[in-house]
Amino acid sequence: MMHYLQSFVFAFLATVAFGVLFQGPKRILWRSGLIGGLGWVVFIGLKEVFSVHSFSANFLATVTIALASEIFARIWREPTTVFEVPAIIPLVPGLGMYKGMNYILQDYAGYGSEVLLGAALDACAIALGIMMVSGVFRALKTGSDMARQRQQDLLGTAISPDLYVTDPEEEE
Amino acid sequence: MPEEKKLSGTKQNMTSFSPLADLTPMTKNQVMDLAMDLGKILLKSGAETSRVEDTMMRFCRSYGYYDLNVFCTPTVIILGDESPRGKSRVFRVRWRATDLGLIRDVNQFSYNFRRWKLDYAGAKRWLQSRLARSHPYGNAVICVAAGLGSACFAMLLGSASVYNFIAAFLTGFIAMTLLKMVNNFHPTPFWENFLAGFSIGIVAQTCCLLYPYCTMENITVGALMPFLPGLAFTNGVRDYMAGDLLSGNSRIAEAALFAMSVAIGLVFALKVWTWGGLP
Repeated sequence: MMHYLQSFVFAFLATVAFGVLFQGPKRILWRSGLIGGLGWVVFIGLKEVFSVHSFSANFLATVTIALASEIFARIWREPTTVFEVPAIIPLVPGLGMYKGMNYILQDYAGYGSEVLLGAALDACAIALGIMMVSGVFRALKTGSDMARQRQQDLLGTAISPDLYVTDPEEEE
Repeated sequence: MPEEKKLSGTKQNMTSFSPLADLTPMTKNQVMDLAMDLGKILLKSGAETSRVEDTMMRFCRSYGYYDLNVFCTPTVIILGDESPRGKSRVFRVRWRATDLGLIRDVNQFSYNFRRWKLDYAGAKRWLQSRLARSHPYGNAVICVAAGLGSACFAMLLGSASVYNFIAAFLTGFIAMTLLKMVNNFHPTPFWENFLAGFSIGIVAQTCCLLYPYCTMENITVGALMPFLPGLAFTNGVRDYMAGDLLSGNSRIAEAALFAMSVAIGLVFALKVWTWGGLP
């Protein structure tokens, strides 16, 4: 339990630091920190307790982060990016990249490329998680936008030239 | 006043869905001007392409100009007019930075300008004030934040110890300070990241030489984290999902290039270290 609490605190601090690095507004810093800590705890919990493969653990943690930031964005009326971008950062597979590169440098190219491939797979899992959640929410949003626009078209107000305010300079 | 005449003419057949219901009217030139400003701010502060296009289109349409179209990639914005004799505008973006605060402000603007009821001059003034504002965090705060982020990452990777924390803090702090010092010369992103990787390699090796309790792996990975292109990668994926294949491709290519340049700098530092005959 202590281990997870410690991980949460460090992930929280790291996410807040990245919020500052990206010039994030002050009042969203601790909120994105909460999301980042949550995502990291889900990641290591899945890996250590349920011994899930790192691809699936990354995927599920990313889905958690993306869902949480969509919910936070709805609650506090901010764009989703503001929460999601700093919170994703702890999951980026930096260790795998460094290890693989280092092995290749020391002439263990076979093992090094294996580790690098694992890192690339983890990055793909993160991408997949973001894509799924943002795709679903985008579909919901554009769906409601399209419905409103169709109604405007039916009313004949959407593309009416009467609505243009023209100035003589532009007409020329 | 021709504008008033037009307005009173339209008011009779206006419904509650009409685009001009509660907005002060603007000419097409003015709307294009403001939309272009919105797009510039968003793209320069690192928003994803689909957000830029979406914001600009929504702005134009809410004033009733349904024949304005936007095409945007990470390096250019084109705002075109579909109607005959229409004019188009192009803006080329060369330097991009990351500023989540500006993205948030412009987002608030695009959702609230119906309620704020700004006319052209007011909106223009608001946008200029956003552009001219100083960043909320100065260079010193940024450098300390980079150090803190690196230190926390070093602790997250296992084998947590105070030595690692301090060494990673120093490494990240020094790398970011170097970057900020050369920032005025506008180096290309490749050389910036190369320098970051190189300095991380040298400082981490020095720390391990001085304190044998430090773990090289943890320090290096922690200090690398602020320079890995997490934002470009995330944005690229979101652009793919929104259907902007061109900008998705270029963002992913950008992320790959940045990661590669950091890696090359780090490898170069390690090689130099061994050539110098140090352990």
